[in-house]
Amino acid sequence: MSARVELAVAGFDPAARLAAFTAALEGEGAVVSFTGHARSAAKDGGAVAALVLESYRSVTLASMEAIVADAHARFAITRSHVVHRCGTIRPGEAIVFVATASAHRRAAFEAADYMMDRLKTEAVFWKREEGPDGSRWIEPTEADEADLARWTA
Amino acid sequence: MGTTRVRIELCGRLADTCGRELDFDLPAGGLPVSAVMAALGEAHPALGEALAGGRIRACVNEAIVPAAALVRPGDRVALFPPVSGG
Repeated sequence: MSARVELAVAGFDPAARLAAFTAALEGEGAVVSFTGHARSAAKDGGAVAALVLESYRSVTLASMEAIVADAHARFAITRSHVVHRCGTIRPGEAIVFVATASAHRRAAFEAADYMMDRLKTEAVFWKREEGPDGSRWIEPTEADEADLARWTA
Repeated sequence: MGTTRVRIELCGRLADTCGRELDFDLPAGGLPVSAVMAALGEAHPALGEALAGGRIRACVNEAIVPAAALVRPGDRVALFPPVSGG
Protein backbone atom coordinates (compact mmCIF):
# COMPACT_ATOMS: atom_id res chain seq x y z
CA MET A 1 0.00 0.00 0.00
CA SER A 2 1.27 3.45 -0.88
CA ALA A 3 -0.42 6.75 -0.06
CA ARG A 4 1.21 10.05 -0.92
CA VAL A 5 -0.31 13.38 0.12
CA GLU A 6 1.11 16.77 -0.84
CA LEU A 7 0.19 20.36 -0.06
CA ALA A 8 1.65 22.31 -2.99
CA VAL A 9 2.53 25.96 -2.41
CA ALA A 10 3.28 26.56 -6.11
CA GLY A 11 1.95 25.34 -9.43
CA PHE A 12 2.35 21.64 -10.19
CA ASP A 13 2.09 19.51 -13.33
CA PRO A 14 -0.71 16.93 -13.01
CA ALA A 15 0.47 15.05 -16.10
CA ALA A 16 3.91 14.56 -14.59
CA ARG A 17 2.37 13.37 -11.32
CA LEU A 18 0.18 10.89 -13.19
CA ALA A 19 3.14 9.63 -15.24
CA ALA A 20 5.16 9.02 -12.07
CA PHE A 21 2.18 7.36 -10.39
CA THR A 22 1.65 5.02 -13.34
CA ALA A 23 5.37 4.22 -13.58
CA ALA A 24 5.30 2.97 -9.97
CA LEU A 25 2.50 0.46 -10.50
CA GLU A 26 3.18 -3.08 -9.39
CA GLY A 27 0.79 -5.04 -11.53
CA GLU A 28 -2.46 -3.20 -10.76
CA GLY A 29 -4.97 -3.26 -13.59
CA ALA A 30 -6.69 0.09 -13.00
CA VAL A 31 -5.61 3.70 -12.58
CA VAL A 32 -8.09 6.56 -12.16
CA SER A 33 -7.09 10.21 -11.92
CA PHE A 34 -8.97 13.46 -11.48
CA THR A 35 -7.63 16.98 -11.79
CA GLY A 36 -9.59 20.04 -10.71
CA HIS A 37 -8.66 23.33 -12.41
CA ALA A 38 -9.47 26.89 -11.40
CA ARG A 39 -12.40 28.18 -13.42
CA SER A 40 -12.26 31.52 -15.21
CA ALA A 41 -15.82 32.43 -14.22
CA ALA A 42 -17.67 32.50 -10.90
CA LYS A 43 -21.06 30.78 -10.45
CA ASP A 44 -22.79 34.10 -11.26
CA GLY A 45 -20.80 34.40 -14.49
CA GLY A 46 -18.46 37.12 -13.25
CA ALA A 47 -14.79 36.99 -14.13
CA VAL A 48 -12.36 35.41 -11.66
CA ALA A 49 -8.84 36.81 -11.69
CA ALA A 50 -7.54 34.35 -9.10
CA LEU A 51 -8.54 31.86 -6.45
CA VAL A 52 -6.84 32.14 -3.10
CA LEU A 53 -6.72 29.01 -0.97
CA GLU A 54 -5.78 29.60 2.63
CA SER A 55 -4.53 26.68 4.73
CA TYR A 56 -3.64 26.33 8.42
CA ARG A 57 -0.31 24.96 9.62
CA SER A 58 -0.17 21.17 10.01
CA VAL A 59 -3.94 20.87 10.28
CA THR A 60 -4.57 21.15 6.53
CA LEU A 61 -2.20 18.34 5.57
CA ALA A 62 -3.49 16.20 8.46
CA SER A 63 -7.07 16.67 7.21
CA MET A 64 -6.02 15.48 3.74
CA GLU A 65 -4.13 12.51 5.18
CA ALA A 66 -7.19 11.46 7.22
CA ILE A 67 -9.37 11.46 4.09
CA VAL A 68 -6.83 9.39 2.17
CA ALA A 69 -6.47 6.91 5.05
CA ASP A 70 -10.25 6.48 5.15
CA ALA A 71 -10.32 5.85 1.39
CA HIS A 72 -7.69 3.13 1.73
CA ALA A 73 -9.66 1.54 4.57
CA ARG A 74 -12.92 1.67 2.64
CA PHE A 75 -11.94 0.69 -0.91
CA ALA A 76 -9.66 -2.00 -2.32
CA ILE A 77 -7.09 0.44 -3.66
CA THR A 78 -3.39 -0.32 -3.46
CA ARG A 79 -1.98 3.15 -3.98
CA SER A 80 -3.01 6.79 -4.12
CA HIS A 81 -1.53 10.22 -4.68
CA VAL A 82 -3.29 13.44 -3.68
CA VAL A 83 -1.95 16.93 -4.38
CA HIS A 84 -3.81 20.07 -3.25
CA ARG A 85 -2.69 23.60 -3.99
CA CYS A 86 -2.72 26.46 -1.55
CA GLY A 87 -1.95 30.12 -2.16
CA THR A 88 -2.91 32.11 -5.24
CA ILE A 89 -4.14 30.09 -8.22
CA ARG A 90 -4.78 31.58 -11.66
CA PRO A 91 -7.62 30.40 -13.94
CA GLY A 92 -6.66 27.19 -15.70
CA GLU A 93 -4.09 26.13 -13.11
CA ALA A 94 -4.58 22.81 -11.34
CA ILE A 95 -5.99 23.06 -7.81
CA VAL A 96 -6.33 19.40 -6.89
CA PHE A 97 -5.10 16.09 -8.25
CA VAL A 98 -6.21 12.65 -7.12
CA ALA A 99 -4.90 9.36 -8.49
CA THR A 100 -5.83 5.88 -7.33
CA ALA A 101 -4.83 2.39 -8.42
CA SER A 102 -6.45 -0.96 -7.80
CA ALA A 103 -6.50 -4.48 -9.19
CA HIS A 104 -9.88 -3.83 -10.86
CA ARG A 105 -11.44 -0.55 -11.93
CA ARG A 106 -14.42 -0.11 -9.57
CA ALA A 107 -12.38 0.50 -6.42
CA ALA A 108 -10.15 3.03 -8.16
CA PHE A 109 -13.14 4.97 -9.56
CA GLU A 110 -15.01 4.96 -6.27
CA ALA A 111 -12.01 5.87 -4.11
CA ALA A 112 -11.14 8.86 -6.32
CA ASP A 113 -14.77 10.04 -6.27
CA TYR A 114 -14.97 9.59 -2.48
CA MET A 115 -11.74 11.47 -1.83
CA MET A 116 -12.81 14.40 -4.03
CA ASP A 117 -16.19 14.69 -2.28
CA ARG A 118 -14.49 14.79 1.10
CA LEU A 119 -11.68 17.10 -0.01
CA LYS A 120 -14.29 19.60 -1.23
CA THR A 121 -16.18 19.70 2.05
CA GLU A 122 -13.83 18.59 4.85
CA ALA A 123 -10.22 19.38 3.98
CA VAL A 124 -9.08 22.44 5.91
CA PHE A 125 -8.93 25.15 3.24
CA TRP A 126 -10.68 28.47 2.87
CA LYS A 127 -11.28 29.46 -0.72
CA ARG A 128 -11.72 33.01 -1.96
CA GLU A 129 -12.47 34.19 -5.48
CA GLU A 130 -10.86 37.46 -6.49
CA GLY A 131 -12.43 39.37 -9.35
CA PRO A 132 -12.80 42.89 -10.69
CA ASP A 133 -15.47 43.66 -8.05
CA GLY A 134 -13.47 42.51 -5.04
CA SER A 135 -13.19 39.17 -3.32
CA ARG A 136 -15.72 36.63 -2.11
CA TRP A 137 -15.36 33.62 0.20
CA ILE A 138 -16.64 30.32 -1.15
CA GLU A 139 -18.26 27.74 1.11
CA PRO A 140 -19.42 24.22 0.22
CA THR A 141 -22.68 24.29 -1.76
CA GLU A 142 -25.76 22.15 -1.13
CA ALA A 143 -24.64 20.09 -4.13
CA ASP A 144 -21.26 19.52 -2.45
CA GLU A 145 -22.99 18.40 0.75
CA ALA A 146 -25.31 16.10 -1.24
CA ASP A 147 -22.27 14.58 -2.98
CA LEU A 148 -20.69 13.92 0.40
CA ALA A 149 -23.90 12.38 1.77
CA ARG A 150 -23.79 9.69 -0.94
CA TRP A 151 -21.04 7.98 1.03
CA THR A 152 -22.95 7.81 4.31
CA ALA A 153 -26.32 6.70 2.88
CA MET B 1 -6.22 35.09 39.84
CA GLY B 2 -4.44 36.86 37.01
CA THR B 3 -4.92 36.54 33.33
CA THR B 4 -2.59 35.47 30.55
CA ARG B 5 -2.75 37.02 27.12
CA VAL B 6 -3.19 34.52 24.31
CA ARG B 7 -3.19 35.33 20.63
CA ILE B 8 -6.10 33.96 18.64
CA GLU B 9 -5.72 33.42 14.90
CA LEU B 10 -8.75 34.11 12.72
CA CYS B 11 -8.93 32.05 9.54
CA GLY B 12 -10.78 32.55 6.27
CA ARG B 13 -13.57 35.10 6.29
CA LEU B 14 -13.25 35.61 10.06
CA ALA B 15 -10.18 37.74 9.31
CA ASP B 16 -12.20 40.16 7.17
CA THR B 17 -13.55 42.26 10.02
CA CYS B 18 -10.89 42.35 12.74
CA GLY B 19 -7.68 41.19 11.07
CA ARG B 20 -5.89 37.86 11.27
CA GLU B 21 -5.07 37.88 14.98
CA LEU B 22 -6.67 39.06 18.19
CA ASP B 23 -5.29 39.12 21.70
CA PHE B 24 -7.43 37.64 24.45
CA ASP B 25 -6.95 37.75 28.21
CA LEU B 26 -7.43 34.23 29.47
CA PRO B 27 -7.98 33.45 33.19
CA ALA B 28 -5.10 31.44 34.66
CA GLY B 29 -7.37 28.40 34.99
CA GLY B 30 -8.34 28.52 31.33
CA LEU B 31 -11.75 28.79 29.67
CA PRO B 32 -13.83 26.50 27.46
CA VAL B 33 -13.70 27.27 23.75
CA SER B 34 -17.38 28.24 23.80
CA ALA B 35 -16.74 30.88 26.47
CA VAL B 36 -13.72 32.25 24.60
CA MET B 37 -15.86 32.64 21.48
CA ALA B 38 -18.67 34.31 23.40
CA ALA B 39 -16.25 36.77 25.03
CA LEU B 40 -14.58 37.55 21.72
CA GLY B 41 -17.99 38.20 20.16
CA GLU B 42 -18.83 40.65 22.94
CA ALA B 43 -15.49 42.42 22.69
CA HIS B 44 -15.63 42.57 18.88
CA PRO B 45 -19.25 43.02 17.79
CA ALA B 46 -18.25 42.81 14.11
CA LEU B 47 -17.22 39.21 14.79
CA GLY B 48 -20.12 38.41 17.09
CA GLU B 49 -22.61 37.31 14.46
CA ALA B 50 -20.18 34.92 12.77
CA LEU B 51 -19.06 33.42 16.09
CA ALA B 52 -22.60 33.00 17.40
CA GLY B 53 -23.80 30.98 14.42
CA GLY B 54 -22.55 27.65 15.76
CA ARG B 55 -20.59 26.93 12.58
CA ILE B 56 -17.19 28.03 13.83
CA ARG B 57 -14.77 25.37 15.02
CA ALA B 58 -11.81 25.91 17.28
CA CYS B 59 -8.34 24.56 16.76
CA VAL B 60 -6.07 24.30 19.79
CA ASN B 61 -2.41 23.40 19.33
CA GLU B 62 -3.07 22.30 15.75
CA ALA B 63 -5.96 19.96 16.52
CA ILE B 64 -9.66 20.69 16.01
CA VAL B 65 -11.41 20.46 19.38
CA PRO B 66 -15.03 20.44 20.63
CA ALA B 67 -16.63 23.61 22.02
CA ALA B 68 -16.33 22.26 25.56
CA ALA B 69 -12.54 21.84 25.33
CA LEU B 70 -10.51 24.01 27.68
CA VAL B 71 -8.18 26.69 26.35
CA ARG B 72 -5.20 27.07 28.69
CA PRO B 73 -2.50 29.72 28.92
CA GLY B 74 0.19 29.03 26.35
CA ASP B 75 -2.14 27.28 23.92
CA ARG B 76 -2.06 28.17 20.24
CA VAL B 77 -5.67 28.94 19.33
CA ALA B 78 -7.26 29.42 15.91
CA LEU B 79 -10.88 29.78 14.85
CA PHE B 80 -12.06 28.05 11.67
CA PRO B 81 -15.11 29.06 9.64
CA PRO B 82 -16.64 26.37 7.39
CA VAL B 83 -13.96 24.98 5.07
CA SER B 84 -14.01 24.68 1.28
CA GLY B 85 -11.38 22.85 -0.69
CA GLY B 86 -11.01 21.54 -4.23
